[in-house]
Amino acid sequence: MGVEDEENVCDEGIFNTLFKAHATDLHHFLYYKYGKGNNPQDLVQEAFIKLWANCSKVTPDKARGFLFTVANNQMLNELAKQKTVLRHEQEAPSTQNNESPEFIQEENEYRNRLEQAIANLTEEQRVAFLLNRIEGKTHQEIADMLGISRKGVEKRIYTALAILYEKVGKF
Amino acid sequence: MTERENYIIIKWMEGTLSGDEKKNFEQTPIFKKVERMLNMLNSFKAPEYNVEEGFEKLKAKLPHKSDKTPQGRSFTLMPWLSPMLKIAAILVLIVGGYFLISPEKPTKIKTLASQKTEVTLPDLSSVQLNASSQISYLKSGWEDNRKVVLAGEAFFKVAQGSRFDVQTDGGTVSVLGTQFNVKNRKGYFEVACYEGLVEVVSAATTVKLSAGNIFRIVNGVIAYDEVHSVLVPSWMRNESTFKSIPFDHVIRELERQHNVMVSTENVDTAQLFTGKFSNSDLTLALKSIANPFNLTYQVNGKKIVLYGSSK
Repeated sequence: MGVEDEENVCDEGIFNTLFKAHATDLHHFLYYKYGKGNNPQDLVQEAFIKLWANCSKVTPDKARGFLFTVANNQMLNELAKQKTVLRHEQEAPSTQNNESPEFIQEENEYRNRLEQAIANLTEEQRVAFLLNRIEGKTHQEIADMLGISRKGVEKRIYTALAILYEKVGKF
Repeated sequence: MTERENYIIIKWMEGTLSGDEKKNFEQTPIFKKVERMLNMLNSFKAPEYNVEEGFEKLKAKLPHKSDKTPQGRSFTLMPWLSPMLKIAAILVLIVGGYFLISPEKPTKIKTLASQKTEVTLPDLSSVQLNASSQISYLKSGWEDNRKVVLAGEAFFKVAQGSRFDVQTDGGTVSVLGTQFNVKNRKGYFEVACYEGLVEVVSAATTVKLSAGNIFRIVNGVIAYDEVHSVLVPSWMRNESTFKSIPFDHVIRELERQHNVMVSTENVDTAQLFTGKFSNSDLTLALKSIANPFNLTYQVNGKKIVLYGSSK
């Protein structure tokens, strides 16, 4: 249908490039937002299938925005939010070390407390804060992913920090 | 964390502290704590995403638009698919529409007998929940609509902001940033204001309650009182305090705090009780409520019987 138009993502080469460029970011975004229990990998796939289905309407430079919007909306329709939070809470991060049992226990308690506090953040706060602190995304990059202003992102990050500090900072 | 500390931490995260400021800040215990927290975050890092594998999987699922030959194939192969797809699309719209329209499920927090917990709301307002109590609220749109539905007893520390409502079946309490305790049990509704001003709207009346005052409806009778302890409700210090409260309400509170069943024999449960009992020591608590009325008691596991002395 629109295959004759060079400037859309129906071209398989362009589509491949887009996948390589954006799939990892999209995956991490979904992971921090909803947790492992909600299959971020499958959601990445679904977003790209949607992109392919709409390839004649989307130009390559709009593809990233399209993917993040789709990924967001799909989740919002399919999931009860409450479930998301609980699943996120239950995930255990993998770490190994050879410290004394007391130290390990104390570290585990601290991590559990932090994990719970992270799970209790709102989705918006959590995704902005973790993308910034763990993935090192800039405020502007996160703003583009979420489709909000940079100021909005900053507010979320600092509120999240204040909440986490309140919950675990004393220890 | 104070405003000033918060400000410094933000500056530090942004990397906009001057050399000296940075050095000073990195000496403080707060820095150590923030650093520990931020370092620990890395253990929550998302797992690596395998792009190659993901792409292979995706390719298998995509309709083969780019196979050079497929254009006609998908049509001739499955002519019955097209009406099926229409039906499927309509189903998706209906199901999707349901999820769009149906409201978000409220967040619910519940305590069992002899349990307590603390809840932080999205704006950092905090709620201490007493035993056998439940609150629920909507996370989304919290800033514009701060409303908590309470069944049981809780102490609120409300962050400054828009109107904050606590809804119970005994009445609604509205505030603008303050500290107060709401107790709503069967036949018992009590609001104690510890800071600021709250408005209580109940079926019988509407009152404005300033700091240090208590409004109470017990079995339909309205009473006003003053807060005994200045800082926090006594249950937060593991005690239950009563002033001229019908004895049966005292017994119900004992049941909730110690997770026991209390029955009475020859006891006038309408008589008024003034005093307190421990929420951590059952024997002590039983003595505290039995001795003033000259009652004896028998403990049998979770079952307790109070006996009156009149023979």
